[in-house]
Amino acid sequence: MTPRKTVLVIDDDADFQMSVGSLLEVEGYDVVAAASGREGLRKLLEVRPDVVLLDVMMESTTEGYGVSERIKYGEEYAAVRDVPVLMVSSIQESPDERFPRSPEVEMIRPDRYLTKPLDIPRFLEILAKAARR
Amino acid sequence: MTEQDVHDTIVVIDDDYAMRLSCEQILGKSGYGVRSYEDGARGLEGVAELKPSLVVVDLKMPGLSGIEVIPRIHEIDPGIVIVVITGYATIGTAVDAMKAGAYDFLPKPFSPDELRLIVRRGLERRRLVAESQQAEIERELMKRRFVTFVSHQLKTPLVAVHQFLEVLQRLGDNADASAKRREWTERCLVRTTEMRTLINNWLTLSQLGGGTLSRHRVDLDVRELLAHVVGEHAESAARQDIRLELTPGVPLPVHGDRTCLSVLFENLIANAVKYNRPGGSVRVEGTVDSGEVVVAVTDTGLGIPAGDLPYLFDEFYRVRRSGDETLTGTGLGLPISRRVALEMGGAIEVESTEGAGSTFRVRLPSCPAPSSKTEPIR
Repeated sequence: MTPRKTVLVIDDDADFQMSVGSLLEVEGYDVVAAASGREGLRKLLEVRPDVVLLDVMMESTTEGYGVSERIKYGEEYAAVRDVPVLMVSSIQESPDERFPRSPEVEMIRPDRYLTKPLDIPRFLEILAKAARR
Repeated sequence: MTEQDVHDTIVVIDDDYAMRLSCEQILGKSGYGVRSYEDGARGLEGVAELKPSLVVVDLKMPGLSGIEVIPRIHEIDPGIVIVVITGYATIGTAVDAMKAGAYDFLPKPFSPDELRLIVRRGLERRRLVAESQQAEIERELMKRRFVTFVSHQLKTPLVAVHQFLEVLQRLGDNADASAKRREWTERCLVRTTEMRTLINNWLTLSQLGGGTLSRHRVDLDVRELLAHVVGEHAESAARQDIRLELTPGVPLPVHGDRTCLSVLFENLIANAVKYNRPGGSVRVEGTVDSGEVVVAVTDTGLGIPAGDLPYLFDEFYRVRRSGDETLTGTGLGLPISRRVALEMGGAIEVESTEGAGSTFRVRLPSCPAPSSKTEPIR
C-alpha cells in the first residue's frame, strides 16, 4: 500500500478549509491547514507536504502570489521548491492577467490554476496526479 | 498669474534671432522657464530633454519646417501644447498646422500681450485636459477595483456554501456526515447572512448614487432601530466574549430611511464587535443634543492607527494590522455609513487610539415629532 499523501491547504476561509479538508480526509489524504500565507510557508517547511493548495486572494499581506514566488525562488525554501503548487481562486485569473507584461510573471507562475468552487472529480484527479510526482 | 504658471517650461523654435530673443524676454518676465532653439532638429532635441508644457514654433524655417516639427513634438509627448507663429502670407499653412495638432496660431507681427494671452490660454487648456484625463483614469481604476471587489467579496461566501453542499452530497448518509451536516448547515447560515449584509450595502450604495433615498423617509425612533441591531449581534458578541450593551435612554426621533439607517448602525456595531478582543466591550449610546440625535458606538477594541484615520471613510480603504489576517471586510461599510449620514443631513466622526479602542459618533437632525407618532419597528 502506498503511504498516505499530505496536502497543505493555505486558505484564509475557515469554511473552505473545513469542507475541502473533510473531502480530502475521506479521499485518504492527510491534511494540514494554514490560515495565512505566513503560516503556510512555516508549515511548508515543517511538514514537507506532497502538494500545496494555495488560495490567490487572501487578506494577509503575504498573499497567494507572494507565497508561490517564495516557494519557487526563496533561498530558505530550496528543499520544498519542487512541491507542486495548485493555485485556487474564486475569480478566473492567472498572474499573466493580473500583472500584464511583467517579467515577474514567470517567477510566480504556479503549477496549476483551479477555480472555486472546486469541481470535485476534476480536482481530485489533478491532485492525485500532482501528489504522485 | 497662478503658482503653477511659474513652473511651466516653454520652448521657442524660430530661426529668427530677434524673434527668439523677444519671446524669451516676454515669457521670461511672465515667470516661465524659456529655452529657444534656432531650427527644428535642435528644437526637437530640446523638447525631448526639457519636456516643456508648451512649444512656440515658427512655421517657416530652413531645414525641418514647423509643420513637420508638430507631429514629432506630439510623438515625444501628446500633452504638449503647440502654438505656431506665422507671417500673414502663410495663414493657409497655419490652418494646416492646426490640423496637424497645433493648438492655435499667432500671426506676425504680434504684441507681447498677444503672445502672453495665447500662451496662458494654451497652458490653461493643457491643465484642463490633464485634469479630466486624471479624473477619467481614477474613475476607470475605481470601476475596475469595484468589479474585482464585488466578484471576490460576493463569491467568497457563495463559494464556501457551495463547497459545503457539494462535499456533503458526496459524503452521503453515514453517521459522520450527519454530524457534519449539522455543523455545516450552521456555517452556511452564517455565510448567507454575510452575503445578505454585503448585498444590502451595495443596494444602499446604488440608492445613494441614484438619489432615491429621500423618497423613503419616515418618522422613526433610532432607539428602536439600535435595539434591533444590538439584538442581532448579541449572540456573536457573546460567543467572542464581548460585552455588548445598549444604554437605555431618551427617544431619538429622526426623519429618515429605515433601511439605510439600519445599514449604517449595522456597519458600526458589527465593526465594533469584529475589531475587538475577548473580554472587551461595545457600548451603544443615543442622546439628543441641541436639535441633534447623537449615537455613539464605543469599543475597547483594536483601535485605528492615527495614519489610517484620514482615509477611514474612503471606499475600499482597509486598515491593515498584523495579526488580524482572518478578519474579512469589504472596505465599503464605513464609506456607505458616511454617505447615509450625509444624505440624512447629518455627519459621522471617529476618535480612536490604537490598541485602546474607537468611538464612532453619528449626528442626525432630530425631528420634533412626538415619539407616539413614530412608526413602530416592523
